[in-house]
Amino acid sequence: MSSDYEISDDDENYYVDDEDMIDGTQDDDEDDIDMDTFGDDFKVASKSKRKSYEIDYESLSQTAVEELMQSDVDHICGIFGVEASTAALLLRHMSWNKERLIEKYMDNPTKVLVAAGITVEEPLSPPAPIRSHCSSASASSRRPTRSASKLLGLASGSKSPKSPSFASPPLKATRPPKSAPFVCPICYDESPDLRPLALDCEHPFCSGCWIAYASSKINDEAEHTIRCMAETCALVAPDAFIRDLLVPEPGAPAGDPAEEAANAATWARFQELLVRHFVASNPNLKYCPYPSCTNTVSCPAAASKASLITTVPIVSCGARGIGGAAQMSQSQQLSIGLAGKEHKFCFGCSIESDHRPVVCGAAKMWLKKCEDDSETANWIKSNTKECPQCMSTIEKNGGCNHMTCKKCKNDFCWVCMGPWVEHGTAWYSCNRYDEKGGVEARDAQSKSRASLERYLHYYNRWANHEQSAKLSVELYAKTEKKMEDMQITSALTWIEVQFMKKAVEEVEKCRMTLKWTYAMAYYLAKGNEKELFEDNQRDLEKAVEDLSELLESPIEAENIPTLRQKVTDKTVYVQKRNEIMLEDTATGFLEGRWKWNAAIEGFDVPEKTEY
Amino acid sequence: MDARLRRVNKEIADCKNDKTSNIKIDLIEESPFHLKGSFPGPEGTPYQGGHFEVDIVIPESYPFQPVKLKFITKVYHPNVSSASGAICLDILKDAWSPVLTLKSTLISLQSLLCSPEPNDPQDAEVAKHYTTSKNSFEDTAIYWTQIYAGGPGPKEKKGKASTARETRDEIAIAGLERAHVEQFEALGFERSKVIDVLRRLNYRGPNVAKLSEDRVVEELLK
Repeated sequence: MSSDYEISDDDENYYVDDEDMIDGTQDDDEDDIDMDTFGDDFKVASKSKRKSYEIDYESLSQTAVEELMQSDVDHICGIFGVEASTAALLLRHMSWNKERLIEKYMDNPTKVLVAAGITVEEPLSPPAPIRSHCSSASASSRRPTRSASKLLGLASGSKSPKSPSFASPPLKATRPPKSAPFVCPICYDESPDLRPLALDCEHPFCSGCWIAYASSKINDEAEHTIRCMAETCALVAPDAFIRDLLVPEPGAPAGDPAEEAANAATWARFQELLVRHFVASNPNLKYCPYPSCTNTVSCPAAASKASLITTVPIVSCGARGIGGAAQMSQSQQLSIGLAGKEHKFCFGCSIESDHRPVVCGAAKMWLKKCEDDSETANWIKSNTKECPQCMSTIEKNGGCNHMTCKKCKNDFCWVCMGPWVEHGTAWYSCNRYDEKGGVEARDAQSKSRASLERYLHYYNRWANHEQSAKLSVELYAKTEKKMEDMQITSALTWIEVQFMKKAVEEVEKCRMTLKWTYAMAYYLAKGNEKELFEDNQRDLEKAVEDLSELLESPIEAENIPTLRQKVTDKTVYVQKRNEIMLEDTATGFLEGRWKWNAAIEGFDVPEKTEY
Repeated sequence: MDARLRRVNKEIADCKNDKTSNIKIDLIEESPFHLKGSFPGPEGTPYQGGHFEVDIVIPESYPFQPVKLKFITKVYHPNVSSASGAICLDILKDAWSPVLTLKSTLISLQSLLCSPEPNDPQDAEVAKHYTTSKNSFEDTAIYWTQIYAGGPGPKEKKGKASTARETRDEIAIAGLERAHVEQFEALGFERSKVIDVLRRLNYRGPNVAKLSEDRVVEELLK
């Protein structure tokens, strides 16, 4: 943001902006503060030596990402000499690919501006007039002096939008004396206190319709490109326009509070969508998948697909529990047990938990295999398909078979999943029954009976650990009770009984690791490496079971000192075993030591499958 | 008044007052949000003389989201599903704009009947029929218009086609040649099966030469 101070004119604006933020969006402010404290946490953590199964990453709040976006926008502003909001729309149009934008823009600025929906089709001549052309509708998104000029006071009625109605920028003061009264072409409302608004294309609609339209686009379609409502008009509403619609000016007459709250939520959602788009366009960033969390994690080390065969990039966005970035105090965390877990997820794939030590490809395959039986998976299987390009899950709820992926805009056929272009002239093969597929299916059936036994062996152990991990919430509560009892029956203080809690935490963590080792073992090819892996697994499992048993054992006053000693020792041992397990597997991936018995994404296909 | 209701009422009234466009919108039940639109088949097309009815559902967020349309009348057209009546038209999806009205949408639908887009098909079999043999496609479309939309039927057969008109001709509905169907029927296959297979294989026009008899029999035996 320091670049703001380079231009002295901007200082005042910037100051107003700050105030504005405090007024309107207090939540953001709080987030900011919280994130700072989290940032410090990470710095402390990263000082200690990084283990080979950990990865370097940084957690960013929504505000921090917005700053990154702003710096890209400023960069483009500097190069092209355009307004910030123009630069923002250009960048969004090009999916934040600065190099490509610069190249294309230098090549033919008019074309890019039209394609991005910034200017109308036959504009005058490139860059110079853009400034003047845009200044009416697209004031810099940072400038909070709500430029009333955006609200074109078109009183001239929908029939003659090109009439010289420009001349009334300070609109809300007085409406120009009537020619034909304005009738909104969408809601057909003609009451005189309507507020007609238009983009540069001068297609006027009433503010109510604009709000309803923008809300529908933002909330229902998760769309951040809000085009003019007129048919075939491709102009995109700049951010400032949307903000003026949704966020009432300070001092404006108070409207319906419920409506205002809804609009404010829509505006917040819009900003979130912008951030999401930016994050989705940048391979170094990933949005936290936890519900209503708005943090982002930056992890350049795991940005490429190739890196996923050597590392398991488990990251944490820094927030805990459900919702925003609120950090909970120690006691709060304790009282809600595991519900306040940190937002751990995998940067490399869509698994929303710690799947170490298995690499993403194998973990995904395993989960898919396990889910094939579940009801949800059945529903997803029968009602959705994945976009063949970006793999987003898509539900088709009507319409024709020509699908356009909402995310990557890929056109494909719902029936055969092939690209839609091929359905154009070279004819259609998606109605043909694939006989080869039938033969293969029968062949696979006989094989699957044999492999089912093997699968069940691993699955049962996997499910067992998963179940135990789920029960750990109960174990937490039980342990807490025991800790209280201990304080009463023995001379131990609160701090001295914490070893029990520590042990429960460790057990839960190790069960996660163990769970995934079964997925890994399922896919590991037979051989010495696998045996070593299974030895490590056995040692860890035995240690965990021993510790679990100790935790469940009844407490007798005279045994407490020995129990305490045993639990503490065992906890340390379990911790070590877990580290060995993770460390050894991670090094194995780095060395390329693991051999698979199935084709795993990113790895070479094994020559023969031996279980 | 609710903006959506006001808008829909105005649109219905506009349509009533407009005598030139020949587009009608009627309420199906009490609700103004579930309507039935109808328009005559465009002149100079196989749909001429037919009366086409369209089911219209106005969604909650209308006019900011498009209306949901589907043909009630069966239509033989590459961009309309011959089974469900679903329509493939850009303005009903991404190209929708809130300034479009029920009337303008129905007019677009009418013009879709004039200019089929076989490269962006909703019904693959119909589209194949259209691209391989346009004449045969048109005959079938005329026949469908006649039996489903009350059209005049094929001109040359006027008067003498009474036999065919009493029982619906499955062969004509499928857009196939009687001789072809009878040829395979003679081999001992059921008529409905023959029609099904020949339609699926697009056994029409120049395609007939490309498909060997053995290939058809093979399909029939499956």
